[in-house]
Amino acid sequence: MYSKPWVLFWFFAACCFLYLAYSLYHRWKGWSRGMKTGAFAKVLRTVPLKIWVSEVFLQRQLFSLSFPRWMIHQCIFWGFLALTLLTMVSVTLLLLNLITLDAGLHEFFSQGAGRRLIKIWGDFFGFVLSAGCAGALARRFVFWSPQIAHDKTDIFLSAYLLFMTLSGFMLEGLRMAVFPSDLDRYAFIGRLFMPSRAGISSGLEAWHTWIWIVHAFSGAAILIYLPHSKLLHSLLAPLVIALNAAEEQGRKDMYWPKTKQYRPTK
Amino acid sequence: MAKDKAVPTDKIAAGLTWRQLVEIEACARCGECLVWCPTYEQDPRESICSRGKLGSLKRIVKSGLGEEEQKEFLEGLYECSACGQCHIVCPVRINTHELWEQARQSLVKAGIPQPEQQIKHLAAIREFNNSFAKPQAERGLWAEKAWRAGLLKEPVRLWKEHTASVLYFAGCTASFDPAMQAVAVQSARLLQEAGIDFSILGPDEPCCASKLRRMGDPGFADEARKRADLFREQGIRTIVVSCAGCFKGLHSDYTGILPVSVEVLHLTAYLDRLIREGHLRPSRKIPMKVTYHDPCHLGRHNQIYSEPRSLLNAIPGISLVEMRRHGPFSACCGMGGGLKLAKPEIQKKMSAARIRQAEETGAEAIVTPCQTCQIGLTIGIEAISSCLKVYHMNEVLVRSICPEAGREHIEKAFAATEE
Repeated sequence: MYSKPWVLFWFFAACCFLYLAYSLYHRWKGWSRGMKTGAFAKVLRTVPLKIWVSEVFLQRQLFSLSFPRWMIHQCIFWGFLALTLLTMVSVTLLLLNLITLDAGLHEFFSQGAGRRLIKIWGDFFGFVLSAGCAGALARRFVFWSPQIAHDKTDIFLSAYLLFMTLSGFMLEGLRMAVFPSDLDRYAFIGRLFMPSRAGISSGLEAWHTWIWIVHAFSGAAILIYLPHSKLLHSLLAPLVIALNAAEEQGRKDMYWPKTKQYRPTK
Repeated sequence: MAKDKAVPTDKIAAGLTWRQLVEIEACARCGECLVWCPTYEQDPRESICSRGKLGSLKRIVKSGLGEEEQKEFLEGLYECSACGQCHIVCPVRINTHELWEQARQSLVKAGIPQPEQQIKHLAAIREFNNSFAKPQAERGLWAEKAWRAGLLKEPVRLWKEHTASVLYFAGCTASFDPAMQAVAVQSARLLQEAGIDFSILGPDEPCCASKLRRMGDPGFADEARKRADLFREQGIRTIVVSCAGCFKGLHSDYTGILPVSVEVLHLTAYLDRLIREGHLRPSRKIPMKVTYHDPCHLGRHNQIYSEPRSLLNAIPGISLVEMRRHGPFSACCGMGGGLKLAKPEIQKKMSAARIRQAEETGAEAIVTPCQTCQIGLTIGIEAISSCLKVYHMNEVLVRSICPEAGREHIEKAFAATEE
């Protein structure tokens, strides 16, 4: 079996998580300096499900502004959300397994029949996320959309997410090369990254370890980067959208007509 | 660059709401705001658009800005008509115009004042209860003059003499600006034509104080409360306002201050209702192709889009054509938010751009129900020597219902009174 520095990883991941919690607490304290209106508590109580679905999850406003941008953002949004969910479920089951409280679910998803679901889910949403990131970078560097701010941190974020998904696929490809399994056929993207069997040597295991380290540690590091990057909007924008959209609906000014016919520029 | 240690970041943050502080950080930096911003169109600097201002505001409440950066931010903050276009198109739906007004107020409270011209303007409102620095006794003179000149069917009564079902609130511009008094006279005449029992406050009519809110004067809430008390004491139930700025003030800014039992209506919406109910009948044909300019305070800020259009369509002979940008996407003429005072050259460019959009339609005239927009658009017409005419909505209606109260007649009669 190839080795994985689990202890180091768990220590690093715990540090990242603590840092994220501290940063968000710090942010919270910053917001608390403002006048309290009870508006966000209202979001959770009064915003109808319809608004969460159409405005937050399906991003109707962006759809009416630009279909390509909406598509790119939807890919990043759903890809990121689904892979985060997958990671959270996997980590939770692993931790529960350590204290034997996972009711066999960890084994089911890591070695049993549930593994095919994980593979399909991971590959599909990994593909979706990488397509979104590639689209965002293309919009920035190929189509040169004039409204984009060429902020280094924004460029880094798109590249970082793309790197995360590609390193994930590479890791999966190597794993399939080193430890072939019947379930490999469900990893329909990871298979494309599998080195040819003719080239298999003991060196691949070392590569596998190194790529696992890069993928896992950079995945945890995103928790450090989140509060200092544009990624923070992934936490805050849904709240702001839901609250303002609910108010706009109350005032009946939410369902404005097609934007494109008014659009002053491309 | 060294940060300005004198900037009280906590104090600035304390002047914003919790929700606004979150909104500042929710910006996804997509840049949709700069695509639509009518000010950015004339002065394409990042510090002018919402994305730039949000970024600076985020830094200012966090750790302060360098001297140069702060200067640039303040320039951007006041080079903004708070038209609300960026709010309409923002994919995160950040309530930007509310944020800019609140930020202005917060900065003033923290000791960072508005541009000098705005300060002078606000001081006049506080001292004279009107932005024209004229004695309040002159406020209701338009009604007397109009009655004496035979422009009204009957004298307009003062509220203290006759408690009517409707209060007509003319606002400072229509009361004091000789070039805009026709708006007040025509509003009164149209209400009389419809048989509405109304009165005015005359010398007791206060400035709505909404300009205090627009330009970030911290005294706005107190001033608004005083006005709300006045309306309550006088037993006023329905206020009809002919000024879009006063309407935004009384209808929206006074939310939570004015009792909910007081109904505030814009004249355009009210006249549209009266026409639909058959109280007013535009009968004379006005053969004219017109385009309609949505005032920001009426449209984007209060969703009054269809009533003025239905009113225009009710006038025989009027053919209404829409501009490329209309309704929620109507481009601002630059008169709002104190922009004209802070940056008159930008306002001129903005209104000129709006006039060009109107010209594209092939219309003979641009109609608006806001006297401030009318002034702004006229500046644009002069700037590009356009042949287009600018009419207040009242003027078009009056020509169809009671042409003897047309603007030219009013101006002639008032000039004769002055002599």
